[in-house]
Amino acid sequence: MRLFRNKPWFLLLPALLFLILPSYGLATAILESIRGTDGFTGEHYETLFASDRFTASFLFSVRTALIASVLSLAAGVLLTRTFSGYLEKNIPRLSVWLPMVFPHLVWGYIMILLFAETGLFSQLLVSLGWIESSNEFPIWTRDSNGIGIILTYIWKEIPFVILMLFPVYSAIPRSYYDLVETLGGSRWDQFKTVEWPRILPVLLEVFLIIFAFTLTAYEVPALLGTTFPEMVSVLSYQWFYSGSFEDRPLAFAAMTGTSFLIMLGALAAYLYLNRKRMRAMRGRL
Amino acid sequence: MTIQVERLSKKFRIDQVLNSLSFKLEAGEKMSIVGPSGSGKTTLLRILAGLEIPDQGTILLEEKDVTRLSARKRNIGLVFQQPLLFPHMTVAENIAYGAHMNGKKTESTVKDLLAAVNLTEASAQFPAELSGGQQQRAALARALANEPEILLLDEPFSSLDPNLRQDMRYWVRDLLDKRGITSIFVTHDREEAMLMGDKIGVFHEGTFQQFATAEEIKRNPRNPFIVEFFDHHLLLNDQQYVHIQDIQFSEPSGPCITYEAELLQTTFRFSEKVAHLYVKEFDEKITLPTPDDDLSKHIELYIPKDAVQHFQSDGKCNDEQ
Repeated sequence: MRLFRNKPWFLLLPALLFLILPSYGLATAILESIRGTDGFTGEHYETLFASDRFTASFLFSVRTALIASVLSLAAGVLLTRTFSGYLEKNIPRLSVWLPMVFPHLVWGYIMILLFAETGLFSQLLVSLGWIESSNEFPIWTRDSNGIGIILTYIWKEIPFVILMLFPVYSAIPRSYYDLVETLGGSRWDQFKTVEWPRILPVLLEVFLIIFAFTLTAYEVPALLGTTFPEMVSVLSYQWFYSGSFEDRPLAFAAMTGTSFLIMLGALAAYLYLNRKRMRAMRGRL
Repeated sequence: MTIQVERLSKKFRIDQVLNSLSFKLEAGEKMSIVGPSGSGKTTLLRILAGLEIPDQGTILLEEKDVTRLSARKRNIGLVFQQPLLFPHMTVAENIAYGAHMNGKKTESTVKDLLAAVNLTEASAQFPAELSGGQQQRAALARALANEPEILLLDEPFSSLDPNLRQDMRYWVRDLLDKRGITSIFVTHDREEAMLMGDKIGVFHEGTFQQFATAEEIKRNPRNPFIVEFFDHHLLLNDQQYVHIQDIQFSEPSGPCITYEAELLQTTFRFSEKVAHLYVKEFDEKITLPTPDDDLSKHIELYIPKDAVQHFQSDGKCNDEQ
């Protein structure tokens, strides 16, 4: 233990070992994205940024990931603050977290079973006589708006948001709410002054995790997305496994660019959370 | 601002926390509420602040009935046991928040209050950078910035060390005097109650066992609970008591009552030697000033018969206020 006290970087060893594989992947992707026939080149990025297909795919991906992340966070906050007392009990807490046990792919299939034009809800509405045929049911899976993808991620990520927020809400002393009330503050003031500063760091972290995941995960968009615009992960996969070797550097460039964007977001969040005011919130001055 | 409480009752399941409690406080008066821990003092304060609704009774502020008014509309300030400063706000911002919530002008108010609570130099610091006493002063300033008509203080010094607590008592009392604020100070500490209130309400079993000045409580305790709660007297039985200073170690000339006592320990209080004694007859420990000479383990205590006092009322308090 003394060794760890004297050389704290020893504690980082497990994390560094774990990072070997993804770091190798990232380094290889960066290398491949800038490797040309005559040495290093930026032509793959030029081709990528000039590609309408990539632009459409990237914008669609960011939009889909953003909507899924923000809605998951909003629903998670709403549910946690409404039921935080109830969630203290084991069974309600476990039932909320249950969806996390199942892989994203399972939820993707459930979405198809429930929301496809021939799915359960469509059949139910037809049998109730609310719609004449399943053709009238809105297209929510394999749709160009990414509704199926968004719904799957929201469904799957809300429990994760609750898991992260619940300890924060449990730790808020009730007296703070009373304090704001005796000072004349409304329920909104209670949220703004008591809850928001406490949940903001967690929300930022959770947002980054969910956003990064939904932006780059493959299986759900592959299952529930359309052929155009496709999520950037699906496009990269297609470029990587297409017959043409010329497309492979584009896949690497697309993934490298996306990773860079996520890292930039993480850095901005870190700098924001490391301001004195935010450190004061955590009592770490 | 006067506050009048009439026959206030509150029950939590089978616990009668308030039992037809009544009292009145004139504008600028300071009152202490003292009682054993868990007796319901904080619940009383929460009801006065509007954070709990009583089952029965009325609360009048300047004749206006505010019993059912929510805390946010009542304009009664509450200083909690913990400072509860917002950790992400500086001292000045915390105080400004109090003023802002009540729609008051913030800049000059904050400046004045920072000076009043001696925190001008710490105005830009965050709560995590302050000492316990500074934090509680900032919390008090925030409550005052809200310009409450009545200020309630719920054991605000309980988390401070004894020296700081003593300083804060004088300081807060002085500040409340200067500003002429009607205040109610809740504590379980008898000395603190005497320091912080012009009048003391001794709270037990949902009501005031006695509501009077410290002098009156010492001179004329109303019932056995008051005698046992304060250290001024020795309770002889349900009807009689004796002032501690009337208990003697040597036999007096006149008729007297004698009790055997066991010496537990001697200590010093205000440079005076005091004996901690166990009186078997009452199964009670008492503390008496003692002559400097050594006492034996088993001693006799003498109480002159003419020093024995009788409780003068029926022991109830509320009807007389």
